[in-house]
Amino acid sequence: MIQRHPEVLAPAGSLDKLKVAVLYGANAVYVGGQKFGLRTAAENFTLDELREGVAFAHERNAQVYVVLNSFLHDKDFQELPEFIKFLEEIKVDAVIVSDLGVVKTVVNLSKIPVHISTQASTLNVEGAKFWKSMGASRVVLGREISIKEAGKIRREAGIEVELFVHGSMCMAYSGHCVISNFTQGRDSNRGGCAHSCRFEYSIDMPDSKERKKAYFMSSKDLEGLRVLPEFINEGIDSLKIEGRMKSHLYAGTMSKVYSEALKYYKDHGDFLSDDLYYWEEELNKVSHRSYTEASLVKKADADSIFNERENSTEAEWQMVGTILEASPKTGIVMEVRNAFNQGDEIEILPFSTRAIKIIANEITDIMMKPIQRTRPSTLVKLPYVAGVERYHLVRQQVKV
Amino acid sequence: MNIVTYAQVLHDLNVIKDEGHKEVILGLRDYSRFGKLNKTDYLSFSKRARELGLRVIFEWDILMCENDFATLAHELPELLIHADVLRVQDPGALEWGIKNSTLPLQFIAENGNHNLIALKGWCDHANGRMDRIVLSIELPKTIIEEYIKTLNVPCELLGFGRILLFYTPRKLLAPLVEDKYSYHEYIEALGESEESPHKGFPLVENKHGTFMFHIKDFCVLDYAKDLADYGLHSLRIDLRWSDFSLIKDIWNVESLKEKHPQDLMKGFYLVNKTDVLFPKLKNSRLQKREGNYIGEVIEAEKSSHLAIFVKNPKGLKKNDLLKFIHPKGDEIEAQIYSLKNLALEEVDYIPPHTTGIIQFVGGVWVKSHVFYRD
Repeated sequence: MIQRHPEVLAPAGSLDKLKVAVLYGANAVYVGGQKFGLRTAAENFTLDELREGVAFAHERNAQVYVVLNSFLHDKDFQELPEFIKFLEEIKVDAVIVSDLGVVKTVVNLSKIPVHISTQASTLNVEGAKFWKSMGASRVVLGREISIKEAGKIRREAGIEVELFVHGSMCMAYSGHCVISNFTQGRDSNRGGCAHSCRFEYSIDMPDSKERKKAYFMSSKDLEGLRVLPEFINEGIDSLKIEGRMKSHLYAGTMSKVYSEALKYYKDHGDFLSDDLYYWEEELNKVSHRSYTEASLVKKADADSIFNERENSTEAEWQMVGTILEASPKTGIVMEVRNAFNQGDEIEILPFSTRAIKIIANEITDIMMKPIQRTRPSTLVKLPYVAGVERYHLVRQQVKV
Repeated sequence: MNIVTYAQVLHDLNVIKDEGHKEVILGLRDYSRFGKLNKTDYLSFSKRARELGLRVIFEWDILMCENDFATLAHELPELLIHADVLRVQDPGALEWGIKNSTLPLQFIAENGNHNLIALKGWCDHANGRMDRIVLSIELPKTIIEEYIKTLNVPCELLGFGRILLFYTPRKLLAPLVEDKYSYHEYIEALGESEESPHKGFPLVENKHGTFMFHIKDFCVLDYAKDLADYGLHSLRIDLRWSDFSLIKDIWNVESLKEKHPQDLMKGFYLVNKTDVLFPKLKNSRLQKREGNYIGEVIEAEKSSHLAIFVKNPKGLKKNDLLKFIHPKGDEIEAQIYSLKNLALEEVDYIPPHTTGIIQFVGGVWVKSHVFYRD
């Protein structure tokens, strides 16, 4: 049997994150323009940035999908045709759409491949066949689907399938939660989700005299590393990583771990390796809620609920910066995101090898004045280390 | 205007008939989110409804993953013999209905579907078999009127009933039950947000998952005459959590309000402004990054220098006239008289995707955006 290997599809909330994701190994990225997406609060891409992002990705054999996954109201359609024309002109590889009206508009006006967003909650073969008949080339399946079911949908509907492998999850069927609409006046299906499912609630249960406080609607984060062979065996076309609002470190780490893991499997035909523990450690170095495999193998149960306050578990690692420039002449110039001290051990994360650990003994500002403690939103210089490049991410273990 | 409602006990059918209504929605437990009928009940309800001359609508509004879908779709044809209409919400169920049944189809377009292109798309796909389309309660009246008049398929709207806010297949209440060894097929509870002022969300857990409803019920019965004038075909009355005898009061709204214990709301019936807050979700001053945009200030060291990361393909040149837009919106202009690269060499030009260091400009902060001055 010839095994197909899925693409790693990473989130890119900004042009910089797109570059990070591609350089760290993502085969494809998904991005949002200034309108029509579901991440209204994200930086998102201007037209110039979209053009540059597509060119950057294509030069490195990566693809760019643009989200148009908002459920549009009639008035929102006015500017859509011009945007579609632009996306076709810059040769985006697909658009990700939830709304039938948007699907029809894209199909009528362009030849851009259409991927049906998870927001449309496609859960079965017949649903996939419906979207195929509307002109879609791929469905991003609902997160309630198991990998085996996804494989069946792919085979029987004859359409590409994409399945989430990592990241935050809606507890509700995507597209079927309107808490924000009715309680905050923000349309969750047009990018205004207020994340009410992450709130704490007091519950009056019928069998209890006391109210129970619980984060009962909050889901743990999805993590599918250990079941990657199942994805491959079922012929899943794309492994999607959630998180356009998340950090550069997240975009880079996820792209690197999942692409390395897939490559290992491709080369060896199994995961029987200490590398699995290394990849899991890497995933744990990025801020996250407790992990769950959710419904990838069996239906998500009570263990998949994250009954804790958001950010209650401090990340053990933090991103301290990104490399702006590195050469023997200039040294390493880093844009600092979180402060670190002279003498601290920091890790520079190369694109395709393991982290380079260095002790930051010599730190100067960019005018070469020695400093003992860095500050966020400043530039610092470190002595040159071979192998360090622009866009490398720098992280540090948080001291307890 | 047609009234459509749900029957949960056999007597409801008589009441529906006595009130002069012509349709009933039957919810079989395996196919309907809140259906309580088992197969035997369903067959007797269907038989009785038909004897009373009521049109039987079979409701299939569960969103089903493939394994459940395949199993339950297989059993469906024998059930549909006893129905006059198939009502679905999942596009997969619609597709199944088109291919595997000859019944008229009703499509619940209550989630999303706030545009005519989509609504027409669903109707067209049913190839003349779309009996009715159920519109979203988030639509304001002007849009409802437009849709009713434009679509060539009869439209339905919820007139009275609970507002479903949230639907998950996961069991979220069972973990909160104190007796861990008991099994509860059905749990009702009330939820109160600790982080917003909303109190008393009705919560239901059943075999299909967990559902949360709004603290107020939906009611547009005050506007029933307007809706009839627009040409609305059907108004749905959902009394599954209320006293079913209220069906007799739907045209006497004041009486109904008095008898109904829950507060009522009309949702977005008059106006829907759920996108007006979007511009406030991010700093709009920093969104303009087109045209003359050069890049961003990534370091500002008072009395010393500014570091600008250059994104514009034209790069940055000595003597360029710049305009800075501060995150708070202030605009500051300056000309470059000192330009260095990161090796601190004086240069005349900084290429794109690299960093240039210029003299400090008072009032400019990190994250200020930099433009070529017009």
